[in-house]
Amino acid sequence: MGTTASQLGKDLLSEYQELTFLTKQEILLAQKRFTELLTKDEKNLPNTRVPMERILTLPELKSNPFRKRICHVFSTSEQKDGSLTFEDFLDLLSAFSDSATLEIKSHYAFRIFDFDDDGTLDYGDLEKLVNCLTGETDDTRLTTEEMRQLIGNILEESDIDKDGTVNLSEFQHVISRSPDFVSSFKIVL
Amino acid sequence: MMSYSSGGLFNPAYHDSDTLEMDRRSTNKPQHTNPYPRQDPGWRNEREHTHYSSAPQPSSDGIRGQAPSGGWQEESWRGRERIPMSFISTGPGSPSWQHDLNHSTLQILPDSQYDRSPAVRLPSTASGNMTMRWRGTTLRRMSMFPSTDPAYQAFTEDAIRDEMENEEQKLVQELVAQSTGDGIRAIRDLPVSFREKKHIRSQVLAFKSAEKSHHFTCLAECSKRVSSSFRRLGYSVNSTKQTLELWQGVMKEIGGKFGTSVLSYFVILRWLLMFNVLSFLVNFCFITIPMLVHNLSPNIPTNVSFRGLELLTGAGYFTYTTMYYGGYSNETLGHLVQYDMQLSYFFTIAVYMVLCGIILILSMASSFKRNYVLADPVSNSAWQLLCSWDFSITNERAVKQRKNNLRVQLKESLSEKAQGEQLTLSEKLKKLGVHLGSWLLSTSLAAGCAAGIYYLCQYEEERTTDDANQSLLEEAKTLLVPFVVSVMNLVVPLFYSLFNKFELYSSQRKQIYALVVRNVLLKMSVLAVLCYYWMNVVAKKFSCWESVVGQALYRLVIFDFFFLLLGSFFGEFLSNVIGTRLIRRLGVPEFDVARNVLELIYAQTLAWIGIYFAPLLPVIQIVKFFILFYLKKVSLTQNCQPPRRSGRAAQMQTIFIALLFFPCFVGALSMVAYTAWSLTPSEQCGPFRGLNNTFSVVGVWIDDLQETDDHDWAVWIYQNIIRSEIFYFFVTLIIMIVIYIFWQITRGRKQLISQLRQQIVNEGKDKSFLLDKLQNLQKCQPKKKHKQKNHKKHTEQRPHDSSPNGQPHSNAMVQALLARQRLEEEEGRRTSRVSVPSDISSSSSLAQAMLARQRAEASERGEFFSTTGFSEIPLNTSNAVTQPMQDRRRAGEYRADEADGLSSSVSSVMMQVMQARQRAEEEDRFQWAAAPQGNSASAGSSALIQAMLARQQAQNEFDDGY
Repeated sequence: MGTTASQLGKDLLSEYQELTFLTKQEILLAQKRFTELLTKDEKNLPNTRVPMERILTLPELKSNPFRKRICHVFSTSEQKDGSLTFEDFLDLLSAFSDSATLEIKSHYAFRIFDFDDDGTLDYGDLEKLVNCLTGETDDTRLTTEEMRQLIGNILEESDIDKDGTVNLSEFQHVISRSPDFVSSFKIVL
Repeated sequence: MMSYSSGGLFNPAYHDSDTLEMDRRSTNKPQHTNPYPRQDPGWRNEREHTHYSSAPQPSSDGIRGQAPSGGWQEESWRGRERIPMSFISTGPGSPSWQHDLNHSTLQILPDSQYDRSPAVRLPSTASGNMTMRWRGTTLRRMSMFPSTDPAYQAFTEDAIRDEMENEEQKLVQELVAQSTGDGIRAIRDLPVSFREKKHIRSQVLAFKSAEKSHHFTCLAECSKRVSSSFRRLGYSVNSTKQTLELWQGVMKEIGGKFGTSVLSYFVILRWLLMFNVLSFLVNFCFITIPMLVHNLSPNIPTNVSFRGLELLTGAGYFTYTTMYYGGYSNETLGHLVQYDMQLSYFFTIAVYMVLCGIILILSMASSFKRNYVLADPVSNSAWQLLCSWDFSITNERAVKQRKNNLRVQLKESLSEKAQGEQLTLSEKLKKLGVHLGSWLLSTSLAAGCAAGIYYLCQYEEERTTDDANQSLLEEAKTLLVPFVVSVMNLVVPLFYSLFNKFELYSSQRKQIYALVVRNVLLKMSVLAVLCYYWMNVVAKKFSCWESVVGQALYRLVIFDFFFLLLGSFFGEFLSNVIGTRLIRRLGVPEFDVARNVLELIYAQTLAWIGIYFAPLLPVIQIVKFFILFYLKKVSLTQNCQPPRRSGRAAQMQTIFIALLFFPCFVGALSMVAYTAWSLTPSEQCGPFRGLNNTFSVVGVWIDDLQETDDHDWAVWIYQNIIRSEIFYFFVTLIIMIVIYIFWQITRGRKQLISQLRQQIVNEGKDKSFLLDKLQNLQKCQPKKKHKQKNHKKHTEQRPHDSSPNGQPHSNAMVQALLARQRLEEEEGRRTSRVSVPSDISSSSSLAQAMLARQRAEASERGEFFSTTGFSEIPLNTSNAVTQPMQDRRRAGEYRADEADGLSSSVSSVMMQVMQARQRAEEEDRFQWAAAPQGNSASAGSSALIQAMLARQQAQNEFDDGY
C-alpha cells in the first residue's frame, strides 16, 4: 500500500482523490499526521494499523465525546479494537470533510450514534447519545424522568412508523431538516 | 435483472423496508441464537487466506467456509447472470462486516458457528444504505424467528448474502453504464469503507476495459483521455483553491474553540473581503490603469497640498486624484488603441454590479435550498439539539462548556414542551403589549435617527460652499455627519438589545429575527435619508457633485471602521472587564454574531453605493476588513466565551446573505441606477461631463456605430431589445408563467409528501398488527411448523419460475408467513388429497421452508467432501455439490410439468412438494451413510447435529404423512 512511504505515489494519490472527498493537500497532510503516529518500526511496514489509543492522541479527536465510536465505526480491524489503517483514516477524514455529501455524513453519524451496532437507534442508544452529549458524570446527566421524557420527544419527532426505534431513513429524514448538521459534522486536520 | 424476487424475502424492497420491525426486545434474550460466529482468530486467519489466495485448500476449515456459500439455489441464480464468476467471488473479505457482525449484542452459541460462517464473508456490497440496511435486516430476521432452529437462520443468511451479491452486481453494472466522471462520483458517495470502494472501482474498471477491448475506437480513447485530464484539472483546481483560501489555520482555531456559529461571522467576513478584492481588480484594471497610463500625475490645482486631514475626510488633495469620479476624464484615450473612457467607466460599473447580483442570488438560492426549505419549523426540537454537536470543537474547555449548555438547552426544551401554551388572556395581552411597545419604540427611534440626520445634513449644507480650498476647520466640520451616523449605529442597537431583554419571546429564533429586523431598519433608514440628501440637494448644488458624494461615502466608511474598533473595545473588552472584575453575575460576554454581521453588511452597503462615485473605495474596504479580521479574532479569543445557545447557525447565515441581497445590494443598485438614468452628471468634471445622463453614453455609442455601419448586430440589439418595451413585456410574462407553474408544482409536491407520510404510518401499523397476529399463531403451533418446514423443502425452483408478484413488497414477507400458517392448518386436514392453495404467496412460503432445508443439506455436503479429502478450490467444491442437485431439481420440474400438463404454477408446486418429499427420503438415507465419516472433523460436528435434526424431522414428518 505504501502508506508509510515518505511520498505517496502519484497513482495512489489520484486514487485517494478519486475515492475520497479530500483534496491533494488534505491527503498529504493526513499522511503526514498519520506517519507521526507510527513508531519507528512500524514506519517500515506497509499497511500498518495504528491502535485506537494512539489515534485518540490527535488533538482533533482528543476531546470529542464520540471519539471511541468514531474509531470503531471507521475501523476495518477484525478485532474491532478501533485501530485504523491509513485508508481507514482517510475514510474518516473524508466523511468529516467539508465536501462530503449529506447522505454520507448522516450515514456515518447514524453509525456513530448506534452504540450497540444493531442498525437502529433504540432507547438504549438514545440514552447513551444524550449522556455522551451532556456529560457522563452523575451530576451532569439528566434524571431518569427527564431522560424518559426527552427520548419520548425524540421518538415522537422522528419515529415515523411508530416502532419505538429510529432507523436510518428516519434518522436521515430528521437530519435533512436540521441544517446545522452538515456544518457541524466536520473535522479538519 | 433476475427473476428471483417472487417471494417477499427475496425481494430487495423487503430489505429496504425499514418500517418492518419485529419484536426487537427478543434480540437481547439470552436464549436467542447469534447468527454470527464467535471470535476465532485461527480460523479467521485461515479463512482470510483461502479467500485471498483462493488456492486449493484441502483443510476442512477452508471448505467449510466456502461450501455453504455455494448453496445451490445461489448457484442457479448465478447461472442466469451475465456476469462472469470471477467477479462475484473476488470480493475481499469485508472487515467492516466482520466488525459489525461480531459486535452484535446477541448471545453466541457455539454450535451455531458452523452454519454462519459464510455470512461473515459476505461480499461487501453497497448500494446506498446497504451496510446499515443489511445489519438492520439481519437483526430483524433474527428476532422474527425466535426459535433456535439453525435452518432458519441459515436460510436468511443465504437470502441476504445473495441479495447482497446481486446488489453489488447491479451496482457495478449501473456504474459501468455511467460515464467515468459520474461513476467516480457515485462510488465516492457510497457509505462504505475505502477498501470496498476500491474493490467496486476495480470491478467497474475491469468491466469497462473488457468492453473497450471489444469495440475499441480512437474516438472513445480520446474522449476518455480528455475526460480524465479534465478530472485531474478539476482536482488541481480544487487543491489550488484550497491553498489560496485565506486564514485557514485561524479559521480552524476559531472553529475549534467557539464552534460553527461564531465561525460563520468570519466566513462572511472573508467572503465580503473577496467581493471587494474582485471589485477592486475590476475597477482598477478597466478604469484606473488606463487613466493612469494616459495621465500619471493628477491635475491638482497649485494651491492644494497634502495636509494629512485628507486621510480622514477624503477631501482636499484626494478630490483631484483617481480616487473619485471627478478624477477621470471623458476623452478617448490612447493613440494606437482607442479606449473610450466613458464607455469603460459605464460598463465596468454595470458589469460589476451585475456580477455581484448574480453571485449573491446564486449563493442565496443554494443556501436557501440547503437550510431553509427543508428545515424544521419547530425550533428547539430535541433532535436538532442532539444533531447540533460540533465535531470541529477541539478545545477541552469548550467541549465541557458546550456539554453544559446543551444540557441546559435540553432541559429547557423539556420544560417548554411540558408548559405548552398555557398563558392566560391577561398574560397574552401583556406580552402583546410589550411587543407592540418595543416595536413602536424601536421604529420611532429609527425614524428619529433618520430625521436627525436629515436636519444635520441640511445644517451642514447651508454652511459648506463649493469652494475648492477649504480651511482646516471647515474641512474638519465635514466629519460631523459621519460621526453622528456612526454613533447612532453604535448606540441605538444597544437600546434594541435592552428592549429585547424585556420582551419574552417564545423562541430564540423570533428574538433574533426581531433584533435583526430592527437593526436593519435603523441602518437602512439612515442610509436612505443620506441618499435622498445626496440625490436631491448635493446633486444640484455642487459643481462636481459626484466627487462630493464620494467623499461623504469615504468619510462614512472610515468612521464606520473606527467605530467598529471602538465597538469591539466597548462591546467585548469592557464587558469582559465588567463581567470578570466588577459584576461577576454578568459573566464573560458572548460574541454577538448577529450584531457583528449586521455591521459588516452595513459596511458593504456603503462600499456598493460608493462604487460609482469613488471607484477605488474597495481598496479602503479591503484594508478595513483585513484589519477587522485580526482585531475580531484577538478580541474574541481574549474577551469572549463560546455562545451558550447553539444551533441555527446555518439558517442565520442564510438570513444574512438574504439581507445582504435584499435591502443592501438592491438598495445600492437602485441608488446607482437612479444616478445613472435620471441625474445630470456634473458639467465640469468626470467622464460623463456634457451628457444629459450617464446612460445616454450608450446611445451616443450606438449612434457612432450606426454611422460606421460595421456592427449592425449591436445596433439591432440595442434598438430591438434594450429599447423595446415589447421585449421586456414578454420576458416578464414568461417569468411570471414559469413562477406560477413552479408554484403549482410545489403545492402538488407538498400534498404528495403528506400523503406518503401517511402511507408510511399506515404501513407501519399494518405490519405491527400482522406480525402480532403471526407471532400468536406461531406460539400456538410451534411443533407442527417444524415438520411442515421440512416437508416442503424441495420445491425451491418455484421462486425463480413464478413471476414477481405485484404485491407491496414490504408486506410480502408477512403474507408469506401467514400463508405458511395457513398451510400448516391445511396440512392437518390433508391426507392423500392435494389441496391447491390459490394464494400466490404460498409458493413463496414453500420456497422459504425448502430453502432453509436445502441450505442445511448443502452444508452437510460440504462437510462430507471435506472429510473425505476432496481437494478442490472451495468454490468449485460447492459447484460440484450443487450441480447434481440442480439437475435433479430441473428434472423434477419437467416431470411435474409433464405430469400436470398444466401451465398453472400453483398445481405444479404441489406436485413438486410430493416429489420432493420422496426425494428427501432418499437423500436422508444417503446422508445417514455419509454422516458418520464426518464425525471425525471435530469442528464440523455442529453441522452434523443440524443435519441429523433435520433428518429426524423429515422422518417424523413421513411417519405423520403416511
